[in-house]
Amino acid sequence: MLIFDQLKREDRKLRAISLGVLLGFGILLIGLWWVQIVSAKRYEENLKNQQFRSVRVPALRGKILDRHGESLAENRPRFDVNLYLEDLRSQFTYEYTNHVVPEYVRQHPELMQPVKQSAIKRFFSFATETFGAEPKPQPKARARLPLAVRTELEAEARYRVVSNITAQITTRLQNPAILDTTLFSRHYYQKRYIPLPILQNLTPKQVAIFAEQFTGLNGVEMEIQPTRTYPNETSAAHLLGYIQRNDQPNTDEEIDYKYYLPDYVGITGVEASFDDALRGQAGVKSLLVNNIGYRQREEMLSVTEPGRNLVLTIDLKIQQAAESALAAAMPNVRGAVVVMDVRNGDVLAVVSAPAFDPNVFPAGVSSAEWKILNNEKYSHMFNRATYGAYPPGSILKILTAIACFENNIMSPSEMFHDPGYYQDQRVLGRRRIESLAPAGDYDFKRAFLKSSNTYFIHFGLKAGLKKLVEVGERFHLGESTGVLPGEEVAGAYPDSNNLSGWYAGDTANLCIGQGKVTLTPMQAAAMTAAIANGGKLFWPRIIRELLPPEAIDSDLKSFQPGSLRADTRLNPRHLQIIHQAMLADVEDKDGTGAAARVEGFRVGGKTGTAEGTKEQTTWFTSFGPMEKPRYAVVVMVQAGVSGGGTCAPVAGKIYKAILKLEQTRSASPNTLAELN
Amino acid sequence: MYETNLNERKSFFDYPLLLAVLGLIGIGIAFIYSASFANESVRELPLFKQLYVKQMVWYSIGFGMAVVLCIFDYRTLARWSLVGYWISILLLIAVMLFGTERFGAKRWILMGPFQLQPSEFAKIAFILMMANFLSRPKEELRRGKIFFTALGMIALPFVLILKEPDLGSALVFFPVGLLMMFVAGVPLSYLFKFVGGGGVLVALILVEVLFVPIDSKFQLIRLENYQRHRLLTYFGKDLAPPNATPAERKQAQILQKNKSYNVDQALISVGSGGLTGKGWREGTQYSLGFLPRAVAHNDFIFSVIAEEKGFVGSVMVLTLYTIVLFSGIKIASQARDRLGKILAVGVVALLFSHIFINIGMNIRLMPVTGIPLPLLSYGGSSVLCSLIAIGILQNVHMYRRAY
Repeated sequence: MLIFDQLKREDRKLRAISLGVLLGFGILLIGLWWVQIVSAKRYEENLKNQQFRSVRVPALRGKILDRHGESLAENRPRFDVNLYLEDLRSQFTYEYTNHVVPEYVRQHPELMQPVKQSAIKRFFSFATETFGAEPKPQPKARARLPLAVRTELEAEARYRVVSNITAQITTRLQNPAILDTTLFSRHYYQKRYIPLPILQNLTPKQVAIFAEQFTGLNGVEMEIQPTRTYPNETSAAHLLGYIQRNDQPNTDEEIDYKYYLPDYVGITGVEASFDDALRGQAGVKSLLVNNIGYRQREEMLSVTEPGRNLVLTIDLKIQQAAESALAAAMPNVRGAVVVMDVRNGDVLAVVSAPAFDPNVFPAGVSSAEWKILNNEKYSHMFNRATYGAYPPGSILKILTAIACFENNIMSPSEMFHDPGYYQDQRVLGRRRIESLAPAGDYDFKRAFLKSSNTYFIHFGLKAGLKKLVEVGERFHLGESTGVLPGEEVAGAYPDSNNLSGWYAGDTANLCIGQGKVTLTPMQAAAMTAAIANGGKLFWPRIIRELLPPEAIDSDLKSFQPGSLRADTRLNPRHLQIIHQAMLADVEDKDGTGAAARVEGFRVGGKTGTAEGTKEQTTWFTSFGPMEKPRYAVVVMVQAGVSGGGTCAPVAGKIYKAILKLEQTRSASPNTLAELN
Repeated sequence: MYETNLNERKSFFDYPLLLAVLGLIGIGIAFIYSASFANESVRELPLFKQLYVKQMVWYSIGFGMAVVLCIFDYRTLARWSLVGYWISILLLIAVMLFGTERFGAKRWILMGPFQLQPSEFAKIAFILMMANFLSRPKEELRRGKIFFTALGMIALPFVLILKEPDLGSALVFFPVGLLMMFVAGVPLSYLFKFVGGGGVLVALILVEVLFVPIDSKFQLIRLENYQRHRLLTYFGKDLAPPNATPAERKQAQILQKNKSYNVDQALISVGSGGLTGKGWREGTQYSLGFLPRAVAHNDFIFSVIAEEKGFVGSVMVLTLYTIVLFSGIKIASQARDRLGKILAVGVVALLFSHIFINIGMNIRLMPVTGIPLPLLSYGGSSVLCSLIAIGILQNVHMYRRAY
């Protein structure tokens, strides 16, 4: 062997040199082993850190549909114009060398310096100069710029190129925009590996102009970005909620992203409650960048998983009918409507007025707009159907009647004289409650349809507080309905275990739904549905299903239809009497709810007008058709004139719309299945 | 015994050396191709302007020169060494007067389309001159005058190259010259004294650079600022003086990062290659420009090879160099006279110094210097000189002892 031969040579000096060479290479070998084998991992990490940028790519947000598959929230393509800076690098260089630098040098002639010459030429000019000849003028001159100036001029060149392109495109698209210097330089220095947005949300006309005139222009791309859109605008806005751009997505995601593409997060409504399911799984794109940070190529590390579609129990047609009916109740109406399927608790419509347009939120709302939306009186953002609890007024007399019947202290035919007010020193002190009904003799039905306060206080007090509270608790008043977690209040209802500080006057108020009791329209609807269906209190259901179906973790009850919450154990005979009274309230010519009457659809209802400290709350709660109840409709209007005058007509219009809808739908067999 | 000698007599070339050199040339072409093709603007150049094609031309010229060199007996060459040496000294002076400046150093003379790096040729001329000078009878070498003359022959090109400035290339003259003296038979006591003295001097310089503040009156040796910075960076010291303001310190940190940028990137290249590397033309460090494109194909070609071929590739390159160097030592041992032996050892010492410094620099064993990797780095001067040096070895081999 070559090496060992050398080591064995007699020449000691050459042997020493051989050993030296071996030693030197041994050191190199150990060094290379240390760097390439032992520390390889560390250097690979360094390599990744400097060469890769992970970008989070949000998934397509799931749609929200009504029970018939009508779209309530979907994604619409938005056309944006983006500029890919890495494709413009040669233009940057061209601008720099041919325009920016010459201009600068013209202003600073002192920077001119002689050009480099080859050694031979320099030797000759050196020689000629030494021997006294005139120095020849320098053939060409070049400027030598300090690094700081070069950096500045390069930035200037970049800005010129990009702002020229921006101006050219935006002018041609009839939406002239000027590129902001600081914005551009921030983009350039922080994230030049992603495209620079120039114009967003192009109109169809602009899309056409762009496609015709700019397709193929270097570095400029028109790209499609999905945007959330609510095709029915304000319809069911409170239920759907809205989404907002979220620039700091969950910090618990594992990957340390260098950049986030805009993602949206639900803030209220089902957009918030089902945000995880709707949002899907974000993907990760890895960008390979070069030493100056331009994108070289990209690859998807994990693909996005689109969000799941959410099907609501809402019937868009009924929802819209309820909305227009409520809007017609009075100018600047503030109120709520809930339409429920009494057979299973499905919420068919839930309206809160005034409403907002969720379409404006993804792009961001100004603080001025936000102020208007949160105006104290109108509070557009406030969901009155579930988040507002109001004194129920006379609609609570239904429960008072049940308490009285069950305690056998009142018979429907028993006559009672109402002097037009209620006054009892022991109960109310010196206070007196007006009856609302004219003075006269009343049996149950007449007292119910005339809404005699005196009658119900008289018998309610006889039934006793304990009984009244017990009946209310069977209907789970004062407890959340669970319709949307975090989106509702429980209302106020006395707790049978804790009645201290409760006075007889409060009990008198409770009999007629005043004072220390409040209901949300959703609670009123669940209660009315139970009255209508023979006593079954359902969990109101708003979510029909998630598509594709998959077990999800949610605070919500499972989405099974007709999820029974409680049997209110009502005596069918008592119910019969109450149904008749409610029917009479609508059908009798002097019933308070006569305005809810619909030809060919027998509706039973109860009006309510509750006094408040600032304004009165008017109600109409109802169900129909009487023969085989299917729908419960609760209408609540703040500062209405009266339950019968303001709310009953709204319910009437809704029933009319439902009747018409049922007729058209039964005509087309495709949707027949959806009716039950 | 007789037969092997006969066999040796038959071999005209030293074949292991020849094959190893051809192997290195092949690797050189392959990886200069790889390193330069990552650059788009280079890729679009016409063929004759491509770096790897140019390098192939240099290889051919160098090979031709080596063959021409072998026509003349090395003893004839040695007779002309004095002329060669002084021509190279003149060229070094010419660099100082008419040299082109790049990266703050004047190392090149512009010759029409080519840039000549005289320091490379000076090394060859120096080896020939030194070998010729030292091949005198051993007794004369004991004379102090001869020793100092030899030292002077080292010092002249050393000072001129140091002025370019090119500390790395200048320093190479010492190990080469000293090893030649050692083999020639200059008394060891002389060499030890000199090396000892030099060691103390280097230690003093280091202590001063590392520990004495720059504005101190104890400043004995004036190093160029960039040289100070390189040494500080190599030893991982803070560039800022201890009493620096935060702004100055930050400035110094940025400077330090810039100074160590090439080595940091070279280390990442070498380290990320791992055991087997990313594959030919798959390296990302230079193709994305992290390893500066200006140096990837010359001073840092080894990190390109190490990134793409991993530890396996590094070992292969080292193995080929080992074959070259040990062939050189074998040739030295078989040389017909002392001149041939000293000449061969000089070439071995030169090649070894270059290889050790360059590869060491790629893995931060050595400070950064502009020393090319023989036969692999891109560059006409380096390739020509490396091949001429190999030609000298073959020459000594061809005219070796005939027993």
